Amino acid sequence: MKQLRVVVTGIGVVTPIGTGRERFWTNLLDGRSGIGPVRSFDTSAYRVHRGAEVHDFEVENYVSTLDAAHLGRASQFAIAAARLALADANLEIASLDLERAGVSMGTTSGEPREVERFDDLFISGKLERVGPEFLALYPSHVIAAHIARELRFAGVNIMIPTACAAGNYAIAHAFDVLRAGRADLMLAGGSDSFSRITYTGFAQLGAIAPEVCQPFDRNRKGMIPGEGAGVIVLEPLAAAKRRGARIYAEISGYGLSCDAHHMTAARPDGEGAVRAMQQALEQSAIGPPDVSYISAHGTGTPTNDRLETLAVKRLFGDAAYRIPMSSIKSMLGHTMGAASAIEAAVCALSVFHDRIPPTINLKEPDPECDLDYVPNGAREHTVRVAMNNAYAFGGNNASLVLRKCEYLN
Amino acid sequence: MRNRVVITGAGVVSSLGDSSSSLQLSLCSGRRAVRPVELFSTAGLGCPLGGEIPSFDAQKYLGRRNLRPLDRTSRLVTSAAQLALNNSGWSESMRNDEELGLVLGTMFCSVHTISQFDRRAIEVGPAFASPMDFSNTVINAAAGQTAIMHNLRGINTTISTATTSGLQAIAYATDVIRSGRARALLAGGADELCFESFYGFDRAGLLCRSDQSAGDFPIPFDKRRNGFALGEGAALLMLENAEFARRRGARSLAEITGHGCGYDCSQGEEEDSAVEAIGLAIRRALNDAFAGPHEIDCLSASANGSYAGDRHEAKGVFAGLNGQTRKLPVTAIKSMLGETLGASGPMQAIALLETMRDGVLPGIKCLEEVEDDFAFELIGPDNREINLETGLINSVGFDGHCCSLVLARCDEN
Repeated sequence: MKQLRVVVTGIGVVTPIGTGRERFWTNLLDGRSGIGPVRSFDTSAYRVHRGAEVHDFEVENYVSTLDAAHLGRASQFAIAAARLALADANLEIASLDLERAGVSMGTTSGEPREVERFDDLFISGKLERVGPEFLALYPSHVIAAHIARELRFAGVNIMIPTACAAGNYAIAHAFDVLRAGRADLMLAGGSDSFSRITYTGFAQLGAIAPEVCQPFDRNRKGMIPGEGAGVIVLEPLAAAKRRGARIYAEISGYGLSCDAHHMTAARPDGEGAVRAMQQALEQSAIGPPDVSYISAHGTGTPTNDRLETLAVKRLFGDAAYRIPMSSIKSMLGHTMGAASAIEAAVCALSVFHDRIPPTINLKEPDPECDLDYVPNGAREHTVRVAMNNAYAFGGNNASLVLRKCEYLN
Repeated sequence: MRNRVVITGAGVVSSLGDSSSSLQLSLCSGRRAVRPVELFSTAGLGCPLGGEIPSFDAQKYLGRRNLRPLDRTSRLVTSAAQLALNNSGWSESMRNDEELGLVLGTMFCSVHTISQFDRRAIEVGPAFASPMDFSNTVINAAAGQTAIMHNLRGINTTISTATTSGLQAIAYATDVIRSGRARALLAGGADELCFESFYGFDRAGLLCRSDQSAGDFPIPFDKRRNGFALGEGAALLMLENAEFARRRGARSLAEITGHGCGYDCSQGEEEDSAVEAIGLAIRRALNDAFAGPHEIDCLSASANGSYAGDRHEAKGVFAGLNGQTRKLPVTAIKSMLGETLGASGPMQAIALLETMRDGVLPGIKCLEEVEDDFAFELIGPDNREINLETGLINSVGFDGHCCSLVLARCDEN
């Protein structure tokens, strides 16, 4: 049966290295870092003090229907990314069939700052100050709900909180929703705000690097928690052609699997990651050697980068050495549920521009990480097929494949 | 031609029983789980009532497995999963040979675990926060823990859409099987009763008040309703590709023939918009099932006793079924279980499977006076005998989410 083809026609991002597609892409190719001292909360009781926060964000530029004062930070980011993506796609809300317009978002923590406020008041004996806003602002579904409310989207509305791979899950679902004919247009992505809960947890796991994020480097010391949002506009190819939209890339397939091994550690043989990549390629009818770029999960922890390299080598064999694979987390830190959504946007841009962002801070090669990680400088490279890999707590693996959109008129 | 999706088993851990038949027996004998909460103190709160599972012990279902890493939500889900695996005949060796996946709906997973982790870090210092608790602070923790315990290596997705999470998870899993990506998936939902979420609902003024004339209880669709009671539980269905189930000799309890959703952008603030979204979800589910309103034999409503929510649903059902609601038998099992959030839709599905089997649709406890402009006639406190071929399940959330699902008797059995 002939399947409906789904394309990416708009990109909106809020990141530690810039808000909006153009600024972000320029800074990314320039190898800018968004990592600095944490400002969201006092880190003096921690052994680590650095994070990748969004500093230049002005919510009032993006929120018009809703009252920004009654939105959590992740919802604010998400609405901004959604508005930017729609504008980037050159879509007017008035032109849409709103009952056929949907939202699919991922997150790790939802709106954790609302729980943090609850906890602070609990500890100081002032819990009575917690009012109806806790339920209105906290549950993770509010992120997708707030986007829909702001834009009046009355179609599919779903939140997929599958931790650090959530963005890929949300995009994969939106792809299925369009293919099943359940919507005409989907906004899909992920959002997370900087959170003391997340920071504490990763600090306790000994996973946070003290200074920089240096994926695949021999001396890498860990990840850097971050925040942000990424949203892409997905629509059927036929609709995009009809309205003369700029098409960044086509989504050709995805793979999801679970290690069923450990909550926070990946399987040592990379088997789950291999299955997800394999499925994504099979659905796309693409052989491993035809992949031109891999956007790595690349957190910068000693274990992740080693296992990820191993999994790619297991699936791609010798071809692994020919396929550039970079980690933008070297610049953005780990933006949690937003990470794979922002990385999917980067894959779409790589496919569109034939340029690949670098892995920065990669000074000394690790013998166990011996692939081409595009060290320290962006590269011109024909990207016909990009694969976006993401891994998460709970043993979740998600791979997405994007390709150049070719069609006969 | 899309793959057909059948239900080959179910697992439920609820305040009214830990099997489909015991749940149905409780519902049909009008038992009510809603009573003063014992898990935590409700002192100073407006509502002291909840549908708590009395003395829940996961060891009963999971034997000698190590339960220490699991919080209450994860214990509920791993237990329900074990029951669903047993009930559908998915042995350990089958799970070794075939990648089984899990789609779990949950509103909070465990906000209690998240809050405890954070409070310890603040009170004692971040260096004393528990790394093991941290792994349970992610909203997909219960799904991950269940995959680890039961060796579920396929798709592992968590869905969070308020009270519709569980039904939405079943809808998601249905499409994954229809498209051929998976042959079998556990799908359903769970939420635990805990202080943090209870406090949030209480402060939002959504829970039933204790000055209610008929008692301190939620009464869906009744004129006297003034809020719902919060409940808890886990409920999972085993969904399979019909052909695959037939070849492995599994019995099919029912077929999922359609589902649909809508979103109310006013989040319940504007009645017209709320009604339209609920109606849209129902129409989409019927279209997906190639069924007309006249083919629906009963409705398992989302109604939980909340003032506006029940009103919107009554009107939305009328709109979605083209006004054909007067002769439609209606039940609302949240009158007895309370609002179990992520577990609620899957629990409605499990109860409906029992109705399909034994022909009894549970009444709505204490319902005496249905609101005058709700177009239901076959509704009330008494059980009703029906021949259920095709049933409609509704799930309506607090923040605008609407999901509907159509279940049909399998003709081949």
